[in-house]
Amino acid sequence: MGGSNRQLGDLEELVLLALLRLGDDAYGGSIRQELAERAGREVSISTVYVTLMRLEEKGLVRSWMGEPSGERGGKAKRHFAARPEGVEALESVRAVRERMWEGLGEGDVHVG
Amino acid sequence: MSVEDAGRPPRLAHLLIRGRLPAELADAVSGDLEEEYRRRRAGGTGRARSDLWFWGQAVTLRAGSLRRASARLRAMTPTWERNRPRRAGHDQTTRSWMPMRPDDVKYAVRRLVRAPGFTLVAVLSLALGIGANTAMFSLVNAVLLRDLPVRAPEQLVEVYTSDEDGYPYATSSYPDFADLRGRDEVFRDVMGTRTFVSRLDQGERPQVVFGEAVSWNYFSGLGVPMALGRSFLEEEDRTAGTHPVTVLGYRTWQRDFGGDPSILGGSVRLDGRPYTVVGVAPESFTGSMPVLVTSLYVPTMQVEAIGGFEGQTSRRSSRSMFLKARLGPGVTVDQANAWLAAFSAALAEQYPDSNEGRLMTAIPIGDVALHPLVDRVLKPVAALLLVVVGLVLVIACANLASFLLARAEDRRKEIAVRLALGAGRASLIRQLLVETVMLALLGGAVGILLADWTLGLLMSFKPPIPIPVDFDVSLDRTVLLFTAGVSLAAGIAFGLAPALQATRPDIAPTLKDEGTGGGRPRRWTLRRGLVVTQVALSFVLLIGAGLFVRSLQKAQRIDPGFDIGPAALVWPFAQISGYDTDEAVAGLYRELEERLLAHPAIERVGVADRFPLGAAVQTSGYVLPGIPADSRDGDYDLDNAHVSPGYFDAMGVPILSGRTFTDDDRAGERVIIVSEAFVRRFYPGEDVVGSTIEDGSGQPLRIVGVARDTRVRTLGESPRPFVYELVGQGGMFGAEFVVRGKGTGAELLEVTRSVLDEVDPDLVLMEAKTMNEHLALMLFPPRMAAMLLSVFGGLALVLAAIGIYGVVSHAVAKRTRELGIRMSLGASARDVVRMAVGGGMRLVGVGAVVGILLAATVSWSISRFLYGIGTTDLATFAGIPVLLTLVALLAAWVPARRASAVDPVRALRAE
Repeated sequence: MGGSNRQLGDLEELVLLALLRLGDDAYGGSIRQELAERAGREVSISTVYVTLMRLEEKGLVRSWMGEPSGERGGKAKRHFAARPEGVEALESVRAVRERMWEGLGEGDVHVG
Repeated sequence: MSVEDAGRPPRLAHLLIRGRLPAELADAVSGDLEEEYRRRRAGGTGRARSDLWFWGQAVTLRAGSLRRASARLRAMTPTWERNRPRRAGHDQTTRSWMPMRPDDVKYAVRRLVRAPGFTLVAVLSLALGIGANTAMFSLVNAVLLRDLPVRAPEQLVEVYTSDEDGYPYATSSYPDFADLRGRDEVFRDVMGTRTFVSRLDQGERPQVVFGEAVSWNYFSGLGVPMALGRSFLEEEDRTAGTHPVTVLGYRTWQRDFGGDPSILGGSVRLDGRPYTVVGVAPESFTGSMPVLVTSLYVPTMQVEAIGGFEGQTSRRSSRSMFLKARLGPGVTVDQANAWLAAFSAALAEQYPDSNEGRLMTAIPIGDVALHPLVDRVLKPVAALLLVVVGLVLVIACANLASFLLARAEDRRKEIAVRLALGAGRASLIRQLLVETVMLALLGGAVGILLADWTLGLLMSFKPPIPIPVDFDVSLDRTVLLFTAGVSLAAGIAFGLAPALQATRPDIAPTLKDEGTGGGRPRRWTLRRGLVVTQVALSFVLLIGAGLFVRSLQKAQRIDPGFDIGPAALVWPFAQISGYDTDEAVAGLYRELEERLLAHPAIERVGVADRFPLGAAVQTSGYVLPGIPADSRDGDYDLDNAHVSPGYFDAMGVPILSGRTFTDDDRAGERVIIVSEAFVRRFYPGEDVVGSTIEDGSGQPLRIVGVARDTRVRTLGESPRPFVYELVGQGGMFGAEFVVRGKGTGAELLEVTRSVLDEVDPDLVLMEAKTMNEHLALMLFPPRMAAMLLSVFGGLALVLAAIGIYGVVSHAVAKRTRELGIRMSLGASARDVVRMAVGGGMRLVGVGAVVGILLAATVSWSISRFLYGIGTTDLATFAGIPVLLTLVALLAAWVPARRASAVDPVRALRAE
């Protein structure tokens, strides 16, 4: 994986975080819901999947088909989970942010 | 409202979503949206709002982005493609025909286990069809197809000598064989064998064995290696009766000698004389006669030492050798025949008395099954039986195809969805095929068990012939291959049509009308066609069976012209029981007759060397004054028998004019009794008693009586001119007792046996049977035919009934909603039943018409096997339709009744 791939887009970061939060229950629908409820981001299902596939392309996420279920009209889910590389990428983003936040007091942050 | 019960999103929008998505995302994305739709509904959002939302999702779906992302991923990660839906337990790549994947098998097993009723019926139907085919094929294989297990059989020919009537495939004489063996122009080896029946003293009682007297080069020439020891040496086959050596058949060695190798060099008693065992034939070689298993072999020159075969190896007119020859390198059969013609002509010139007009002919061994003459009769019978069982298999397959079509019908939704998901049509077809091929293989396996059982059953119906028969009919490799082929072909045949229909790519209409269950089903024309076919074929088989059964009934009702009441027929084989001379044999018969008559239970005793309706045909030449001869020898060939004075009384054949024989006739001039048909044919209206005819050698024979006609060779024949001579005037060979008295045939047989046992406990009984058993010989072919056809016809009927049941119950299930509406509108249960049954019976009607037409067309081809009825026998052609209609009605009524029990409310709600 090249370093450039480790740079996460804003939505990618949120999706990866949602994956970690949801654990075993991470799939298109639940991720979308998580983004809406926790991050207040209403995104279309297409966007969620395009993002997930881009993450998978980068090797940060893996996916597999599950069993069909009745509440989905007999259709199978595609489950997603973060790979260790994905977690690493999240941590490096967080580290960058923390380095950037470091030393900034409460008063330093205001609309000037 | 729970999420699961929350109702489905709008179908068209759903279809739109699926249609726009790449296959590998279809399930996941549409499933996510459907789930959310349901959650909204369950959360209290109205249907209209939810539908609108769903439509919005469908329209705003960024299909292009998704497809591009998926394609990029696919290019990068090969596993992405294979991450498509796996819920069907199989892999849905499009390059999917070959090979079969373990997943397919797992999936097929799961589906078969999940529908045990279907699986059971399918496997059983197929097993019956395949079982019947395997059994019949084994039989035909054993009789007609199996090659002798010899080296290079393509080089081997059978050599026959023509007989006096010009029939080309008769047996040859030993001297002719010896001359032929001395020549090497076209043949590398000439082998000879003749069969004999003798007595083997082994175990508790002496047993009658079937043996072959073979030339010393027989085994080496055929290329049959011994299992143990050696075959015969040239010096053991040079002089008559000087080398009592024997090669045991493998089964005899196993059965009578426990497979003990130390038997080599030991001795067995054959016909009362010790024979040294020099070898054991291999297990694969059961002798040169198909079906019969040879117990032991002796050198040809030893055959005269066995009772009843004097002069066999020295007389050129004594023809009883079967010859086989191995063609020389590069010699064709035509060349061999040209040479044989010249060779025969030379023999005829040298020995005009015996060889005038005799021609030797060679036929490739593969072209002869039993014997050219027998083949002519057997082959059409075998062909008929194979056609019959083939039809049974076709019906079984039609049944399965019909079931699979019904299943395919039920699965169309599922299949349509899977096609929409991007499953390859090819992979779906492959999967359905795997399922049906597995059914076929299961059916084949159960079928082999059934066949084995059936063969055992068939073998227990032994033909009533006096030779101890040891049928060698087993399921061999050819048969197994055949069965495997039939099962696979059947699997593919009945798997493909439904598979093709089920995966027809017009999926949208299926998705649209999915689950409504209303309207008349339009799609089972194929299935209806199959039921019509089944009914029609069942008709053909049942009418065939009916004709044979009726023919059998008629045959059993014929008056054969003699008393068919209880009697015992016993043939003491004096010649192999130590009675060497004609005088000794005659003395034995006199004593036996006296002792039998002295028994209180026995009233009448007769002796004859041939009984009416027996297996053997026996004729002699007679010179009839004023009647032109019918053969080259200047005489008239007539059926005859040699009988004792008591014969007519014992057999119940009345003397119509003149008198019967008396014991005094043995001394004076030779006298005969003729049949009514003899008088009618040659001297109509004349009183022949007292007049004289001559035998073939010019000896005068005075007619002393006229006897009533009996059926002689077959039950169906018209009365035949017949000559009775007095037994004992020309030897007693083959003379049998007929014993009448008190009690059943079996009791009379027991009494007769005990009397014979008192006279000579070592007497070998060549044959001991009741009158019923004797008559069974004539009735054996029609009985076998009637039994087999009835069994197969019954099988066909059962299969057709299952088919009708299946169609009607499926139709009822499909029309539940319609039936519910009708009942809620006031239709009575009876109306509903009538409607459902009527649907089924229409198919039966069409099948019946086709079947009757077919049966009428094919029945002419079996006319020659039938006796006493026309091929359009009214009773059969009227009775079978009634039978089939009743069975069909029952088969349709059972599921139809279920329809009437439908609760209208539930039916209307049902999707």
